[in-house]
Amino acid sequence: MQQQRIVYDDTTVRRFIFAAVVFGIVGMAVGALVASQLAWWQANLGIPYLTYSRLRPLHTNAVIFAFVGNMMFAGVYYSTQRLLKARMASDLLSNIHFWGWQFIIVAAAISLPLGITTSKEYAELEWPIDLAITVIWVVFAINFFWTLAKRNEKNLYVAIWFYIATIITVAVLHIVNSLALPLDGLKSYSVFSGVQDALVQWWYGHNAVAFFLTTPILGIMYYFLPKAAERPVYSYRLSIIHFWALVFIYIWAGPHHLLYTALPDWAQSLGMVFSVMLWAPSWGGMLNGLLTLKGAWHKLRDDPVLKFFIAGVTFYGMATFEGPLLSIKTVSGLAHYTDWIVGHVHGGALGWNGFMAAGMFYWLVPRLYGTKLHSPRSADAHFWLGTVGILLYIVSMWISGINQGLMWRATNADGTLLYPNFVETLLAIRPMYIVRFVGGSMYLVGFCMMAWNLWKTARAGKAVDGETTVIVEEAQAPVPTATTTPAPGWVQVVTGRPLVFAIAILTVTMFLGWAKPVRALVLMGAIVALGELAWIVTRKDREAGRPSWFALIEGRPLAFTVLTLVAILIGGVAELLPTILIQQAVPAHGEAQKPYSPLELQGRDLYVREGCYTCHSQMIRPFVAETQRYGDVSRAEEFIYDHPFQWGSKRTGPDLHRVGGRYPNLWHYTHMMDPRATSPGSNMPPYPWLAENRIRVKDAPKKLSLMRKLGVPYTHTDVDSAEARQKSQGEAIAADLATQGVQVAWDSEMVALVAYLQRLGRGPQDVPATPSEVAPTASAAGAQEGGGR
Amino acid sequence: MSEKSLIHHIYDGIEEHDNHLPKWWLFILWTTLVFGAGYWFWYHIAEAGPGQLGEYAAESAEHAQRMAGNTPASDDLLLNLVKDPTSLDGGKAVFQSNCAACHGAQGQGLIGPNLTDGFWLHGGAPMAIHKVVAEGAVAKGMPAWERTLGAERVKAVTAYVLTLKGTNAAGGKAPQGEPEQP
Repeated sequence: MQQQRIVYDDTTVRRFIFAAVVFGIVGMAVGALVASQLAWWQANLGIPYLTYSRLRPLHTNAVIFAFVGNMMFAGVYYSTQRLLKARMASDLLSNIHFWGWQFIIVAAAISLPLGITTSKEYAELEWPIDLAITVIWVVFAINFFWTLAKRNEKNLYVAIWFYIATIITVAVLHIVNSLALPLDGLKSYSVFSGVQDALVQWWYGHNAVAFFLTTPILGIMYYFLPKAAERPVYSYRLSIIHFWALVFIYIWAGPHHLLYTALPDWAQSLGMVFSVMLWAPSWGGMLNGLLTLKGAWHKLRDDPVLKFFIAGVTFYGMATFEGPLLSIKTVSGLAHYTDWIVGHVHGGALGWNGFMAAGMFYWLVPRLYGTKLHSPRSADAHFWLGTVGILLYIVSMWISGINQGLMWRATNADGTLLYPNFVETLLAIRPMYIVRFVGGSMYLVGFCMMAWNLWKTARAGKAVDGETTVIVEEAQAPVPTATTTPAPGWVQVVTGRPLVFAIAILTVTMFLGWAKPVRALVLMGAIVALGELAWIVTRKDREAGRPSWFALIEGRPLAFTVLTLVAILIGGVAELLPTILIQQAVPAHGEAQKPYSPLELQGRDLYVREGCYTCHSQMIRPFVAETQRYGDVSRAEEFIYDHPFQWGSKRTGPDLHRVGGRYPNLWHYTHMMDPRATSPGSNMPPYPWLAENRIRVKDAPKKLSLMRKLGVPYTHTDVDSAEARQKSQGEAIAADLATQGVQVAWDSEMVALVAYLQRLGRGPQDVPATPSEVAPTASAAGAQEGGGR
Repeated sequence: MSEKSLIHHIYDGIEEHDNHLPKWWLFILWTTLVFGAGYWFWYHIAEAGPGQLGEYAAESAEHAQRMAGNTPASDDLLLNLVKDPTSLDGGKAVFQSNCAACHGAQGQGLIGPNLTDGFWLHGGAPMAIHKVVAEGAVAKGMPAWERTLGAERVKAVTAYVLTLKGTNAAGGKAPQGEPEQP
């Protein structure tokens, strides 16, 4: 018998906590700033780098990836080592992971205010940073799975399951959604376009919430909550069911971000139905958290750690009830594009992520420094300040969102809009914007108190690394599941009854996609019968005392990982693949389906750079109130050349899909220089630098030929004449403005952006050069073949 | 909810009960699963419910009915509205919130032309002005307002614009178009 002493790597944990607290303050401070900008437009300060539309992506990225990311890594590193009784496999990889991640955050904090962005929400970072994220994530994965391989604990605890799901799913999501062709070192275009891009983006966006903000934090809950409460976890079988249900169902739910858009009905229905079915699996996690405290509720009174955990889990329950509710098409019709969604995500981010982080930090830091928490009273004050802050935040956003949603659709008796002027609906909710700013700021103050408290705690103690001893020989001792092993392990895994039944049921379910009513009923009967049979067989097995298949795979990380991967791929493939195939079959016809002119394309990049999509949608939904206000319903085929799509997810300002031709050029110029000159009461920031900055004229042909590679039917002639076309269109707009007494250069950013806006919802607004006007070139012959798509 | 025995594993001091799943939780699980299957069956297998464009067509038809009661605009109707102070107040409010940004609070012209100088790009007759307000003049950048504002507001604001005619507001934009023929 040999004893082995294991010292855990807690230095990395301490570093990640430090980074999480620092970036948490930064991310939330930026959040408070953008909240103030919505209430008081003057807070944009007239500085491009501090303008709302550029800072909003910084806020979301900082909070998700810098704050929650670092917090998650701290929790994962701490708990994984202890649950596996092994030090992280490689200190070098841990170091690369930590410093690499901080480098990515700094790169994001610099590039986003500069307007270097892909405009895909929560994936705005440009391709070099995307590559760095991939590399660092792989480093993390190697370090984690290597530690799994070296573990001194046969079976994997539920927390580890959630970490596995997180690591592989985030990798898949990030890589697929970031697929893009680079124009230069700082700019790339999504390989997907229009509907396809929207679906991929929200498959990613929704599952970033699921697998970055939820599953790792559930794993952390499963470790730290029973630790802090000193109580056993409520139910092992509940953890099995809610884990597998969660990872399988979550991935389907993305289309609920696109309800009533131009996404095909079937994909919308899948998104809605699976979101509704997520309610119980999500609440399974909440239950296992809350009920673990059964018999220890009295501890809540004096322990700030448990207060944060229980409130955090409760907010999780609230957000995961609200999510399915918002996914119901009728509810989404009212709530989409409004502040209700903003309130919903902040219930999750501030309540669930922020409070779970605080609980974990208050529990961990004293242990990592071998001392007691400096001030439990301050932690208590933080809790109450934070809770009141969250409530102010989400209640104000409910009121604001529902109010504005109702105002948008309110009609007079004769069917005309009650509030035809968009600004009226914005002014109505302004008081709520102020309340939200107050609530968010309270939360930030509480968070800063925590930072001070943790700092004092750390200073009072000394960094100590946890350790344990394992008995090497006994680690090999037979575990209960391995007592009778007639067949090799992998055979047992593959032939396990839960797996066989799951595959059978999924196979039958798949045919429901095409079945006619009668056959569908038969199939549904078969599904119920299979489910019933599975239930009976499982019960018999349990009564007979046969080893559980789940216990078997819990001892086999590879099998577990592969099965998780399969579970998350099914939903993704089922939704993305048909959409991608259908998209390619859409015929190009009509004016709106002509590719952008070179100047319009340049202007579009400015629309992306300035982050217009953070406040303006380009998607008119099929409601009369919406078509009265914005024009005809948006159709899928109108977006086929949109790399990336610009549908947006929030209407702080009106929809712009059919703004082309609605106003004169001078209106747009005036509006961009001083939004309140044309729209009194608007909270839009001014963009005066657009009139000064020049576009890069030489980029036009490069952009066209890149778009050509992405499947946009530009001809070689188009590419060759791009600069000339760009100039003539720019000069026409500049000349029109000059007649009204406004002097701007034809190659100013203003002119390019106006050209783009004037084109929205209709065809290109310049006269394309006919081949005879362009000097014949070698590529003219190629134009013929390039013309047909 | 009886406390089932602890299961055998202890992970870093953490033990696990194996309690039954709460009945109400199972109820939610099964209800949502049945709802999901039913929803899919109804809309995508039986195709018993309309798709979203079908819903929109129905809503549009209903909306068209509500609008059907409106009296079409005419020169006489608009000139009568000019004499109706309630309608003019309404027209003025519509003008201030939707038109003033481009035509100025007194109609003196900013981005859009001066409405007070007796010169008109598209004619100054009541129905000519009504047509421009309702359908817009896209080439000149005048939006079509009838869709958004509705027929009644367009009539009211047209009547209000008729009252601005010839007021020659101070600081007005230089005349555009032709002087109105009597």
